Amino acid sequence: MASNITSSSTAEYFSKNLQQVGFSSGTKAVLTTLKEAVDNSLDACEDADILPNIDIEIQKIGAGAGKNMDLIRVKVTDNGPGLTPEDAVRVFGEYLASSKFGRGRCSRGQQGIGISAATTWAQVTNAKGANIVTKTKKMREAVSANISVDIKKNVGVLKNKQTLKWDRPHGVSCEFTFDGRLQLNGDAGIHTYLQGTSLVNPHLQLTYKINDDAPIVIERVSDENIHIPVAVAPHPHTMKLGEFLAHASLFGKVSLSKFLKTGFSRISDQTLNDLTKLGVKKAWYNMSATSVPQPDMKKVYMALQEAKLLAPSTRSVLTVGEDALAKSIGRLGDVDFFSVLSRKPTICDAKPVCVEVAIARLENFKGDQDNPVQVLRFANRVPLQFDKGSCAIVKALESVNWKTYGLNQPKRSIPTGPYVIAVSMVSPFIKFKNASKETIDASDELVAELRYALIQAGQRLSKFVKKEMREADLEKKRAHIEQFGPILIEGIGRITKAPKSRLDKARIGLTKILGRDEIAAEEALQVATDKQQAMVDKIDAIAAPTTKIKTTKKTKKKSESSSVKA
Amino acid sequence: MAANSDTAKISVHTSPVRKLKKRLTGAKEITNVAQELCLDMLSDLEKARRPVLEATKCSLDNSFYNPKVGYLTPGDKVVRSELNVSSVQKMARSVFFLEILLRNIQTGAINTKRELYYIAKGECKHNPFFKPLDFQDQPESDSVLDYITEMLEVYREDLNCFADDRGGQTYSQHLIVKETMANGEVATIDLSTLGTSPYQPKNRPQNLLLKAKKKIEFCLIVESQGTANTLVSNGFTKRYNCIVIGAQGVPSNAVRSWSKLIQEQLKVPMFFFGDLDAYTMQNIYRTLKAGSAASLIRNADYSAPDVKFLGVLPEDIKKYDLNDYPVKEKDAGEMRALKKAKDVLNNDPFFKDKKNKGLAQILNWLLKEKRRCEQQALFSVDPRDPQMPEKIIVDKIRKGRYV
Repeated sequence: MASNITSSSTAEYFSKNLQQVGFSSGTKAVLTTLKEAVDNSLDACEDADILPNIDIEIQKIGAGAGKNMDLIRVKVTDNGPGLTPEDAVRVFGEYLASSKFGRGRCSRGQQGIGISAATTWAQVTNAKGANIVTKTKKMREAVSANISVDIKKNVGVLKNKQTLKWDRPHGVSCEFTFDGRLQLNGDAGIHTYLQGTSLVNPHLQLTYKINDDAPIVIERVSDENIHIPVAVAPHPHTMKLGEFLAHASLFGKVSLSKFLKTGFSRISDQTLNDLTKLGVKKAWYNMSATSVPQPDMKKVYMALQEAKLLAPSTRSVLTVGEDALAKSIGRLGDVDFFSVLSRKPTICDAKPVCVEVAIARLENFKGDQDNPVQVLRFANRVPLQFDKGSCAIVKALESVNWKTYGLNQPKRSIPTGPYVIAVSMVSPFIKFKNASKETIDASDELVAELRYALIQAGQRLSKFVKKEMREADLEKKRAHIEQFGPILIEGIGRITKAPKSRLDKARIGLTKILGRDEIAAEEALQVATDKQQAMVDKIDAIAAPTTKIKTTKKTKKKSESSSVKA
Repeated sequence: MAANSDTAKISVHTSPVRKLKKRLTGAKEITNVAQELCLDMLSDLEKARRPVLEATKCSLDNSFYNPKVGYLTPGDKVVRSELNVSSVQKMARSVFFLEILLRNIQTGAINTKRELYYIAKGECKHNPFFKPLDFQDQPESDSVLDYITEMLEVYREDLNCFADDRGGQTYSQHLIVKETMANGEVATIDLSTLGTSPYQPKNRPQNLLLKAKKKIEFCLIVESQGTANTLVSNGFTKRYNCIVIGAQGVPSNAVRSWSKLIQEQLKVPMFFFGDLDAYTMQNIYRTLKAGSAASLIRNADYSAPDVKFLGVLPEDIKKYDLNDYPVKEKDAGEMRALKKAKDVLNNDPFFKDKKNKGLAQILNWLLKEKRRCEQQALFSVDPRDPQMPEKIIVDKIRKGRYV
């Protein structure tokens, strides 16, 4: 009897499971397409050491083919190094075609799924793939083409290839037209995405045009490009047995000792000696890694897990930096005051991690003061906009007692008020809860690290809030004196039937007494102001040579460091 | 305690401190002392000194049990409020409220706390000058009222503020109550003429005059008003020369001062009969017998130290084969009462005193056994004899089986 088991291509799998990679609704489809295109552009620019200029166009152009869907056009154009037509067809038309897969770098894209999924979505909902224009420095003219995915074979198909003159020396423009729904505001809105992306990418110049509105330019606030640190070899403690064996087969016929020392970080000759005490035979070291029998390779793996190794290096972790965050924070809106913090890279769950926090209080806030603060979450500088509740960042945020720092907070919840709390986590190995990378898995170690970062940022912020509380206290005291003093005297007068002259004298006495309290409150305010200034001076002094820490009151400089033009 | 923690502090100021040891009675005395207090404040203000208001600290940590008098008395801790920008609102409110109360006692008008809250609000509404004093809710005005009573060491009732006291329904065939009204008229109530309806003392029972037509053998205070009514309906007060009172749970001021009055004027043996559980022992019986920490300045008139605990006693369960049952761990209220029992055994001066050793033993038994037995369990002894509970009660009284 003939077998009825068949094989499917990767493209076929994803085309049937697009909801797993961020295309589960019309709203998500627009955001994911935009996000994947922008991530690719930013990664390409950073790799080529080019300051990114990205132009975005989003437009609702009519009714979609699907029920309750609109036809949406998303176009993203960059000034990156560009792609050759051969590379472009693989990037946009083939799943798992990536220059970054498993390299252990802090790049936004990792696996080579996202943009191919966007092409597939456009294909399945509008029967058209991606329209691209690309030009590298070496190409005389730009090439425009339509790229689609051959679902059965998981290869890209290039159609309508034409050459054209372009207004830029290099770059890529990609345009997707597909079924979707346009959501502009709220946690899952386009504006929130653009706001977040500009916050953690101070070197980005962004121009966007939504529907028929005038284009908006967010100018870059930093001329320093971000350099993604080189990847380091994987740490043995971050691998499972299957991965370990697969890693060995990649190295082919090199000796086991060479494989261990060059294929991993933190393994030295001393480590190999230690492994022999844990059951690894010395003779195996000279055998080729692929010829060591699998049961023995398992023993090597188990000995490695048991061995005491140095923690993985944190050199591979990228930080935005407090100085860059401080420059970028004005992009969130009119900021009253703010605090930024970059934690030193550390190890969580055997993986290097760096957490950065920016907290800003918005001026002229028109929303409800009792509503939760706006939380911006980032993983490798990509905004996370869905499934907030189970994310490690939100769990850490809820575990902090924000009342200590002067914010209102319902019990064990997100604090409330006119604040934006942005938390960025960068790591070459972020553990997401799903393939669409919307939620960071909440391990205890990671939540604790995030919590420390939030507490430190909260402490810095509290210097400003406390000063304000003192100011409010002084105001309240002044109001109390004016309101209740005369009532008290009059009341005593009516009960005692004392003559007016005595009451006048008492009034003078009361003013003196309460005036002393007012002076005391003024002194308390002065102490709080001095403390705040002393802290800012101290931090600025420390930060000056390395530009490491920044906590400051937003002044007129804000408009110099960032500008939003309509 | 009414004083706010932010304004209540021990002052080092030398402003004269009033020791109002003598109990104030009557409108004139209270008005005089209130005026004196305000004059002191005025005098301090004229000299640009901070006036200090002082009130007895009414809390367990300032409670002492004096076995000779039999109720909780205050220690020397006081709460002093010194005038500053934080307390100026409270002081202005206190003087404003005091004025309303003085007006009431001078005109003879009476009010409940709720009514006083609205009177104060009305003053603020009709006179914009007082607007900053306006109360947002009743607890705010209640706390000012309590503060004034503690400062003057007077009862709320002395300031013509009466709560709608619950409980105290009294039945007797031999008790006559004489009440002198505000206009001087005297009302005489013979309880035997009220049929099945009880007499319920209100307002200020300590001002009533009691008389017994025949020698009264005992007074029984029953925790459940329903059970008291059942006993009387079944002829208890006809068969025995006694007084039966329904406490209706935690005794109100009226029940407490009414019991004290019966004890003082009639000098009859007093008994309490209620559930055997931690709540009844520490919240109901202890308050009736020795007063409470919150009412330290009133306990002399609001407690009846001669009241004995008739039951239900732990030994009654076995003796009469009463239905008892374990305290449910899921019942938050019962568990809280047991937890509190542990605390009162260590900290409550009433239960710590050797005079009340027998009562402390009952609490210990409840803590150890974690069982409870309701007063109505007496009805299970002989379900067909409606007089059985009465027989057991009288038997216990006559044989001295009480604590």
